[in-house]
Amino acid sequence: MLEQIVAVILSVELYTAVVRMTTPLLLAALGSILAERSGVVTFSMEAMMLLGAVGAIIGSGLTGSAWLGLCVAMLFGALVGLIYAVWAVSIGANQIVTSVALNLGALGLSSILYVMTFAPAKGEVIEQVIQVPSLPAWKIPLLGDIPVIGTVFFNQIPIVYFGYLLIPIIWFILYKTTWGLKVRAVGEHPHAADTVGISVAGVRYISVVISGIMSGLAGAFLSIGMLNTFQEGMSAGRGFIAYTAIVFGKWEPLGVALGTVLFGAADALQLRLQAMNLAIPYQFMVAFPYLVTFITLVVFVGKAVWPASYGMPFQREGK
Amino acid sequence: MTDKPKTYIWQALLEKSFNILIPVFAILAAFLISGILIIAWGANPLEAYKALLAGAFGTPNAIATTMTRLSPLVFTGLAVSYGYRSGFFNIGAEGQFFLGALAATWVGITFTNLPGWVLIPLCALAAALAGAFLAVIPGLLKALRGFNEVLTTLLLNYVAIQYFEWALRIEHYRPDINVTWDDKPIKWTFLNWIGVKDVTQPFPQSPGIVEAAELPKLGTLLKTGLLNQLFGQAHWYEEFVANPAVNRMTLAPIIALVFVVIMYFVLFRMTVGFQARAVGVNPDAARFMGINVPRTIIITSLISGALAGLGGSIEVLGAQHRVIPNFLVNAGFDGIPVALIGQLHPAGVFLSALFFGALRAGANKMQILTQVPISVVYVIQALAILFAIAGALLDLQSKIKIARLAKQTEAAGEQPVAEKEVSGA
Repeated sequence: MLEQIVAVILSVELYTAVVRMTTPLLLAALGSILAERSGVVTFSMEAMMLLGAVGAIIGSGLTGSAWLGLCVAMLFGALVGLIYAVWAVSIGANQIVTSVALNLGALGLSSILYVMTFAPAKGEVIEQVIQVPSLPAWKIPLLGDIPVIGTVFFNQIPIVYFGYLLIPIIWFILYKTTWGLKVRAVGEHPHAADTVGISVAGVRYISVVISGIMSGLAGAFLSIGMLNTFQEGMSAGRGFIAYTAIVFGKWEPLGVALGTVLFGAADALQLRLQAMNLAIPYQFMVAFPYLVTFITLVVFVGKAVWPASYGMPFQREGK
Repeated sequence: MTDKPKTYIWQALLEKSFNILIPVFAILAAFLISGILIIAWGANPLEAYKALLAGAFGTPNAIATTMTRLSPLVFTGLAVSYGYRSGFFNIGAEGQFFLGALAATWVGITFTNLPGWVLIPLCALAAALAGAFLAVIPGLLKALRGFNEVLTTLLLNYVAIQYFEWALRIEHYRPDINVTWDDKPIKWTFLNWIGVKDVTQPFPQSPGIVEAAELPKLGTLLKTGLLNQLFGQAHWYEEFVANPAVNRMTLAPIIALVFVVIMYFVLFRMTVGFQARAVGVNPDAARFMGINVPRTIIITSLISGALAGLGGSIEVLGAQHRVIPNFLVNAGFDGIPVALIGQLHPAGVFLSALFFGALRAGANKMQILTQVPISVVYVIQALAILFAIAGALLDLQSKIKIARLAKQTEAAGEQPVAEKEVSGA
């Protein structure tokens, strides 16, 4: 048994799978750091991903271009973000509850939109698997020719490369731009930010919409990047995992990225080992990443320092 | 206070009525907007809703299905609302529900010799303990080390559900059997004491619980009980009892109703509930009042988890009589919207569980008759939650109350007295 596990761990396929399983988590989690740092809980990534997934397949299927599919996915994600922001920022509703509602609604809406677009006639079921144009893999010149590393990291579809770039981009925005400063100020001390003339609501709206766009892109990766098809509820809790990765990484871009890799790796390993019929119960492997995260959070990471105004709607005094 | 002017009584009634009016309007608005989606789909929303209603309440059989769907939701809804009231947002009701179902099944297939009146409470107790066990871990972490419970309860869901799926695949110890379904000899190990899989079946599913552990059917009870002595001779009574739908119904919804009443008393008439609400409204103020906040959080998590676990046992004992993979997905997660549309009040939870149960029960008929997909139901539920929480935040209640107090003070010519009670809304 040990030999088999070692063989899996040494295989190139495993690492390619790790990159594939990590990418959607990475896009959603990194894209949501800004919203989280501005004080808005992004428990709604699940909804954004699902609508992104269906948006990508609809866009790609109707226009015949996978790139336009990506645009539709980001648009759908942004719309969910906008609705979420109305409730979370303007109305000041409980953000977790709003997210739960959106996740539920997205589950229904995504499958309705899918059937409406692809059913041969009204009310009929889709029988054959819908295939739409998907994204081609881009081999990066030179880097892609390096043995092993080239295959694993640099022979992927373009969204994956965007995911790599997102780590420094988000870091730069957060710590080196005025806007990043505003985001942090709004999250840590909304009243002070308001006093110096920062629009708390404005910053939060934009951050949440960015979270929507990125999670939509993550959803597109699931549908037209990975499987090239849509299944009801295909995000399968990845939005929650991305959320966990954010807390795990303590809202720092690099830490969050590491968190998503941890999950992606555990997931990929689990999938590969599952195919081998080992004596380890498969359920244990599925639960493994969650257990690892739970234990790491509790034992090693310690008490997380949440953004000070986390989850709390902001209201100007005297209003 | 006894000689309140009449107008104030009316105003007080109006204030109270918002608790009911807001969710009702939210649900109506949800149906209205979903109607647009149904039109876009190409069907007539009125016909679709008519089919939905018929599927939920149209026949005795439909009502029986709605009641079956309602019962576990009442428990998970109570679990979430009790936790929420005291600042413990239990996202883990799903996992607690699954563990409860597993524990109840395990008792129901292990202690096969016990009589029903011992076995049923024992199953329920095991389920409550299992749910409470899973919930108290995040409870302890929150109370003692300040961990946010949303993340920890969410993570434990996945672990619990995978444990459930694993236990479903480990053969349950049966002394009378020594080969599996494919004639392989079994070497029993201690794991087989934990597992619940039926050795005689190739699929991962548990054996059915013993008949004594099944919740009594309403029809059977009516044939033997006091009511039978009173009305047994009447023709209509015989007909009613003989109805297959009445025979399908179990005590489950009645037990759910009993727990609604119990939770009302716990929440509003007992110290535990008062302390829990005080901590939920303002932990610092609660500490100042002399309430032990960490202890209250731990007790809250235990109660909340036990309720979710009981929900799992109700589904096993009352409806499915065994556990299977994906046994009743989302019953726990649905507890969150059930609790919130129910305005976090036990009676409200019952009504909104009825709404959710009816939607789920009627959705099939809607799809068959009008081709509108079941998924529309998710959209209706989601919109209802969104409107209900937005409506609750309009806070008409306190606005009216403030206006009334201002009027009163104007009339009495003195300063308004700060309200002492912990707001129930």
